[in-house]
Amino acid sequence: MAAVFEVSAEDINDDSSSDTIVLWDSLKHMQLVVALEEEFDSYFTDEEIVRMKNYSKIIEVIKEK
Amino acid sequence: MNLKYSEILLRNRELGKSISDQKYETKVLSNIITAQLNELLEYTLRVDDIPAVVTSGDYDNIVQDSLKFHTSDLVIVFWELCNIIDGLQYKINLLEDEQFDAIFEKTKSEIDLVLNNLHQSSLVLFNKPTAIPFSMFDIKGNNLDKLAFKINRYLESEIRENVKLIDLEKIIASIGITKSLDLRYYYSSKALYTVAFFKAYAKYIKPFVLSANGKAKKALIFDCDNTLWKGILGEEGFDGIEMSSKTRDGAIFAEIQSMALGLGKQGILIGLCSKNNPQDVDEVIKSHPDMQLRDEHIAIKKCDWTDKATNLRKIAEELHIGLDSLVFVDDSTFEVNLVKKLLPAITTLQVPERLHNYPGMLYENSSLFYNLSFSKEDMQKITMYKQSVLREKSKTELSDIESYLSSLEFKITVFEDEASLIPRMSQMTQKTNQFNLTTKRYTEGDIKKIISEDNSKIFALSVSDKFGDSGVTGLCIINFEKKNQTSNIDTFLLSCRIIGRNIEYAFMDYIMKYLKKININSVAATYIKTKKNKQVNNFFDKCSFATITSSDEIKKYNQIIKNYKEYQLSYIRI
Repeated sequence: MAAVFEVSAEDINDDSSSDTIVLWDSLKHMQLVVALEEEFDSYFTDEEIVRMKNYSKIIEVIKEK
Repeated sequence: MNLKYSEILLRNRELGKSISDQKYETKVLSNIITAQLNELLEYTLRVDDIPAVVTSGDYDNIVQDSLKFHTSDLVIVFWELCNIIDGLQYKINLLEDEQFDAIFEKTKSEIDLVLNNLHQSSLVLFNKPTAIPFSMFDIKGNNLDKLAFKINRYLESEIRENVKLIDLEKIIASIGITKSLDLRYYYSSKALYTVAFFKAYAKYIKPFVLSANGKAKKALIFDCDNTLWKGILGEEGFDGIEMSSKTRDGAIFAEIQSMALGLGKQGILIGLCSKNNPQDVDEVIKSHPDMQLRDEHIAIKKCDWTDKATNLRKIAEELHIGLDSLVFVDDSTFEVNLVKKLLPAITTLQVPERLHNYPGMLYENSSLFYNLSFSKEDMQKITMYKQSVLREKSKTELSDIESYLSSLEFKITVFEDEASLIPRMSQMTQKTNQFNLTTKRYTEGDIKKIISEDNSKIFALSVSDKFGDSGVTGLCIINFEKKNQTSNIDTFLLSCRIIGRNIEYAFMDYIMKYLKKININSVAATYIKTKKNKQVNNFFDKCSFATITSSDEIKKYNQIIKNYKEYQLSYIRI
């Protein structure tokens, strides 16, 4: 996430979401999903992509895989 | 680019920090979302020292944006077939013939507008629309295929020199359709292609950009043993090495040599750098029945027992090109690592362990040599290089330089605003680095524009002497203001083939005479320092131009034409 949104890793917490991180728009969301799929060698469905709206939700979705 | 996506984004940002104001502006115009390309393309170009800044135009505004952004250094047109009309991929097969024709006509006229808006742009990369993403399972060929075919045929007939068509199907084929498309995003946000596709796309178009920025490679240097033939000459002997198309392994090396011959015909200098007895190698070149690269095809040989880093440095020097213009191929891991470590500027390639992959590896890398403007001078490169070696040899026989120069019987011809030389003139601006006062790069489209303008003139210089014709090897672009009677030298360059003969002074005499004739009173000139042109940092001083300002990086001059002292070199006739 730090790489895609240009913030430092320490600043990301459970509440980090598209509301709190300036650069998180739909394009960046796409980039984030690509990066996560590469990192965890998985594939997210449309619904999962929409669910990953903030840091804690992202962790949730990944854990489910 | 085998880095992770997030890693690429991070590194791209790092590289972006050192970009100053000299940016290579690239605009991507598209009717679908292609934003993932931007950072990937920036990264691909930035690692090769091109300060690229890539941004997207407005969504589905290709025609308007082609007008708005036509002055960008590079314009990429990504016209996705299936989104010409929303849902075209399924609607198209339900259309009546007139509706189909109407769509084609509409697209044609939009293409006309775009091409017209971009006709003076430096470089345009126009993607060839493809139906493959949605028609690949259709065994009978459908309307989408038909539309793609008609549009492509139209494009091919209408484009001018500054537009290059990009074959998307080759890119898709190289990584496979499943990896190229992401329909999750197409239906939600019209982003059809994947990051993997864009990585391949950036890699595919890179040679066009490198060439436009003067970074195309110029020489291909081969090791010999197990690189140009199978076997080690010193051990297996003349009869033991294999390069015949009749044997399984020999055929591979035969293909490699044929490729080298082909590149040589396009003006790439072919050379050898091998640890062998020179006489042994010469014997093979001269008499081996299966050897295709003969003496007349080889511009330079360094076959001895010196280390390859030293020899490659010498090769670059003798060919008068930078190390970064060389590509070196060797089979030995030891040599490859040595050269990569000591001369990182050279692009070093290793012969693959699985020999059958060798030709493919070379094909893939042949795009490093891609030349935007191929001219007839290129075909004669090797002959001209050898002529210059003859000249060097005769130089040592005459003690006095002046009498030597006279004995060469130079004749120079100057062409003014000559349209037939556009490819060669553009190529010279892209490839000449050493005797180049301002190092401005121009594409054929740019040159055409300069010729068409009243207040600028482009002079091309051709030189011949007793040994042969060097062809068009000098260029000068002048801008002038007839009202104030002032002028400015925008570009002054000489191919390194004709350096050291004072031809530059004869050229300057000619230009000054011309300016005087059209009533220009003064000429301004600038020297912009680069890594490669230090040798001309006092050229204008030597022309006795008055210095206005001088810093480490830039020197500015101004000279009153009346006061110009001609060199009047007697041994050079114009």
